[in-house]
Amino acid sequence: MPADRQETAGETRLSADQSAPEVRLHGEDEVGQGSGLRDLAGLGIAAGLFALALVIYGDASSYPVRRSYAQFGPEIFPYIIAFGIVVLAGFTAVIAWRGGFEARARLNYSGLFWIVAAIVTEIIMLFAGTGFIAASTVLFAFSARAFGQTTHLLNFAIGAVMSTLLFLLFRYGLGLALPNGPLERSIDLLLR
Amino acid sequence: MDTFVLLLDGLATAAQPMNLMFALLGVMLGTAVGVMPGIGPALTVALLLPVSLSFGATGSMIMFAGIYYGGMYGGAISSILLNTPGETASIMTAVEGNRMAKRGAGGKALGAAAIGSFFGGTFATMGLALIAPLMVAVALSFGTAEYFALMVLSFMTVSAAFGGSVTRGLTALFIGLTIGLVGTDKLTGQVRLAFGVPEMSDNISIAIVAVGLFAIGETMFLASQHINHKTKAEAVKGSVWLNWTDLKRCIRPYIRGTGLGFLFGPLPTGGAEIPTFLSYTTEKRLATGEGRRDFDEGRGAIEGVAGPEAANNASAAGTLIPLLTLGLPTSATAAMMLAGFQQYGLQPGPLLFTNNAELVWGLVASLFIANLMLVVLNVPFIGIWVKLLTIPRPWLYAGILTFATLGIVGAQGSAFALILLLGFGLIGFLMRRFGYPLAPALVGAILGPLAEEQLRRGLMINRGDWSFLVTSKIALAIYAIAILAVFGPRIWAFLRHRGVARTNRA
Repeated sequence: MPADRQETAGETRLSADQSAPEVRLHGEDEVGQGSGLRDLAGLGIAAGLFALALVIYGDASSYPVRRSYAQFGPEIFPYIIAFGIVVLAGFTAVIAWRGGFEARARLNYSGLFWIVAAIVTEIIMLFAGTGFIAASTVLFAFSARAFGQTTHLLNFAIGAVMSTLLFLLFRYGLGLALPNGPLERSIDLLLR
Repeated sequence: MDTFVLLLDGLATAAQPMNLMFALLGVMLGTAVGVMPGIGPALTVALLLPVSLSFGATGSMIMFAGIYYGGMYGGAISSILLNTPGETASIMTAVEGNRMAKRGAGGKALGAAAIGSFFGGTFATMGLALIAPLMVAVALSFGTAEYFALMVLSFMTVSAAFGGSVTRGLTALFIGLTIGLVGTDKLTGQVRLAFGVPEMSDNISIAIVAVGLFAIGETMFLASQHINHKTKAEAVKGSVWLNWTDLKRCIRPYIRGTGLGFLFGPLPTGGAEIPTFLSYTTEKRLATGEGRRDFDEGRGAIEGVAGPEAANNASAAGTLIPLLTLGLPTSATAAMMLAGFQQYGLQPGPLLFTNNAELVWGLVASLFIANLMLVVLNVPFIGIWVKLLTIPRPWLYAGILTFATLGIVGAQGSAFALILLLGFGLIGFLMRRFGYPLAPALVGAILGPLAEEQLRRGLMINRGDWSFLVTSKIALAIYAIAILAVFGPRIWAFLRHRGVARTNRA
């Protein structure tokens, strides 16, 4: 595995050397610190930080003016923070421009996708009113898949058992209000 | 003498059956998560933050402290048997410990680690009980200017200490400060950065931030790596009981490690990493006789396990000093514990010792009990913990994710909280991916609103005159320390570099 990784890294660097504009594209993650390549992802972070500062500034400047002994109201801290973020965004841009970010391992998109899908599906199911147990089971199965466990039926089975146990423990043991669905309501009826 | 009486009272609190149970739960959970690579004590406390609301303040703080201590014990197990440290505090243990396991002396390494943890934990907790009241006496004289300065110190050091780059540390801090802004301003009722979302206008719960950044972000980060999540552990060979010769080799490293850990724990330098590293290098330099041979021939020296393990537990106790007396977290786990206090409307600081003496001294006393429980759990029952290493990782991480969302949904009572959780998870993932430390963001989100309050109260008292910030000598001294903490290492490196250059020329 490491050998494989180094090879790809070497290749990318080579091809980058040949092409005239020295830009580190998002796909070329193994290229890193001191490579002198412009890091597009890093520049993206800098741009995001600028945008964040703008949002904070915009929000703070919309507050109604108050007269108080302090002479400064709830806007003073947001202004300080926005100023700090602008300065840091500047530094980040310089670091990214010089290729100062460390090498990043190649991204496993499928793993990331399954995790996000797991949480999004759970949110949708909870809003749709399927209840905690069903939503958690799907969450468990999808996230096990994210880590390369492809025994789907087993994943769902373990997820269902675990979610049910957790529901019983936290609903009746600690009195936490977990979202109810048809299954939860029937358990409630049964245990009452 | 006073301390002794208070401690005895605390012992009575800690010995209540419910509190003993919380301590036991804490140390077991802590050891379990310490054993498993990829999950540290900070993450565990984060996961339990929302759930623990029904445990009561004393119970959950005792449990959290048990997790912190337990994590330090458990971390040694995966370091020694897997050569993958469970958390940063046990990186140095892995070096000699895994070598010992490979030559069949894994049991001895585990035993030396457990007894070292006990030694370091117990003596450093005594130090905590002695020093904390002195700190409280000093802190009682602090006003708004001093508290603001202390928070700035905390911000600066936490940003400089975690991770290599100051820019990234500070960026993480400011992201945290921004999160702290969201919601209703305490002093004027102005709603900030809520964008008309009702769930956001009454302040985002710190539990969502903590679980999102640490648990969800970390799980995403692990899933996004191309690694085989199935690794084999070394079997435990040899007895875990130490004989007299082993103990004699360990005792000096224990003492030195405890000293280093207790000294560095309260400093805002990021918890146990620096003291464990220093302890390891000290032992390596000072070793004589058989220890010297073990170090030099790469057989794995017991001194190299004993020192760092005593140091990391001692630093856990040391970290509690600034947390309890000043409300300043100096490690990620301490930041989580601070969030735990805030959940109950408690603000750690000198007043905690007078207003909630029972909680504070109950907590300190329970640390002694937790240490005793841990050494029992870790020496005779070591085999059970090793079994944990055989749980398939995919199910382990999926279980963590399930538990994380359960806590958030259950405590917030709304599925909307999960949308925020996903958002913070993605932020946490991006931060991990691009080498931004997470701890400053959490500290910023927790301490930011407190710092703002101190600043604006000070401005109000002084009618908008900013100079009150720099008229106090204590505050000025604290700012000087903050500047030194951020730029000191850089200046030091620069001077040393010049010094070397000069000697080379001469």
